[in-house]
Amino acid sequence: MKKEELYARMEKAIIEGRKSEAQDLAREAVKAKLDLTEVIEKGYVPGIQKVGDLWEKGDYFLPELITSAECMKAAMAILQPELDKAKIQTRSKGKVVIGTIEGDIHDIGKNLVASMLSANGFDVVDLGADVKLEKFIEKAEETRADFICLSALLTTTMLGQKKAIELLKQKNLYGKFKVLVGGAPANQKWADEIGADGYAENAMLAVKLARRLMGA
Amino acid sequence: MTILELIKKRRVLLDGGFGTELIQRGFPQGACPETWNVERPEVVKEIHRSYFGAGSDAVLTNSFGGSAIKLTSHGQEKRCYELNLAAARIAGDVKPDDGFVGGSIGPTGKFLQPQGEFTEADFEGAFAEQARGLADGKVDFLLIETQYDLREALCALRAARRVAAVPIFVTMTYNRVPRGFFTLMGNSAAQCLEELEKAGVPAVGANCTLDSSDMADLVKAMREKTSLPLIAQANAGKPSLSSGGEVSYSQGLEDYLRHIPRVIENGANVVGGCCGTNPDYIRRMAAIVKEQG
Repeated sequence: MKKEELYARMEKAIIEGRKSEAQDLAREAVKAKLDLTEVIEKGYVPGIQKVGDLWEKGDYFLPELITSAECMKAAMAILQPELDKAKIQTRSKGKVVIGTIEGDIHDIGKNLVASMLSANGFDVVDLGADVKLEKFIEKAEETRADFICLSALLTTTMLGQKKAIELLKQKNLYGKFKVLVGGAPANQKWADEIGADGYAENAMLAVKLARRLMGA
Repeated sequence: MTILELIKKRRVLLDGGFGTELIQRGFPQGACPETWNVERPEVVKEIHRSYFGAGSDAVLTNSFGGSAIKLTSHGQEKRCYELNLAAARIAGDVKPDDGFVGGSIGPTGKFLQPQGEFTEADFEGAFAEQARGLADGKVDFLLIETQYDLREALCALRAARRVAAVPIFVTMTYNRVPRGFFTLMGNSAAQCLEELEKAGVPAVGANCTLDSSDMADLVKAMREKTSLPLIAQANAGKPSLSSGGEVSYSQGLEDYLRHIPRVIENGANVVGGCCGTNPDYIRRMAAIVKEQG
């Protein structure tokens, strides 16, 4: 099979959410000794990006998004060990620490953002829901994160987004991490007011925002 | 008269937002609202009373997050029956002679397999425990509301039917996309109506997510698909927070009310408010309902 044809099939497998096919194609690429970083960039990534576009347009919904993200993960599970074996450094798109702020147990939106970032090549540390502000900062320092992503559905926990930035300033860490905020009551104006680096309305826009902020 | 007889006779008015009313009375946001049915029942009663006073024909119990699975997030799952029983009883205590109490059953906040970890049996168990508490507390009907997954709504319906003899209504929550109105899981409004009607649900509809203008359009679309009584409870737009910490909703009272006549004309038989609405909204809606008949 020609490289281009293989890439097209990989893209299609991700878009249509066919996990075993996505894995078979990854195995085929390994066997054919293809450049695996190119395989990821030209085969799989365009697939997950199209899935995001379909979701934004309202053609795809949460189940399709999750299924495709799972396919991406399954294909990467085959490619990553090969890359490691060959000591090929895949450039991470960026390191992300994400969670829902303390006092808030809502995690559907946060989980979507985490899985879309991960499917798009970001290294994601998901701290879960009801996370203390200090914990975000500790983890970001420990993992040398590029981003701290703060999710809040409630208006009171949204105030935690502001407090987190104040806490970063107190610790002289403001500017060291890019702080992204999201959640139903959040908006761009709020992000600007509290001094966050960005706001995204949905998971796909969050990926685009994070990419833009990484200069990619 | 039963609630269904009333719906057949005239337009019925439900209540509005509950969480913000609790917070105004000192409830710490992020805590478990259902615990106040036992710890601070007088506060919950006061809110119900304020809605009945504003003109609600029926109020919904403070049990939106009262399924055993949702309560687990707050470590309160062992109190599922107790908290729901109390929710029903305290609403019943303040119910006027011609008023009704609906037992609110919200979503679990989790997903069924394969997107999540839960089985339908898990969900049914969690909802049955809740519905049993509400039924034993003598609600007049159950409202399975704000459902984003049709499968989950049907789990709640099956579970509630096993333990409760009262009428059970279902409202889904929809996003507006270019192709129409869909739940988070991608169920179209038409599909939900068809399945719920097939399951024998006597009144169906939508709540939350949409503002009153979009809700009016959705009611029109739903009315084309079903002859069942329709329920519509819109949000007052999207919430936003000033840097000073003040919450406001994008629509506000007057713009919200401007679209209510259209919600009714398009075919809603049961109306009420949702997030961002309060007894003032309901008082003004009562006047519109009265005027439009």
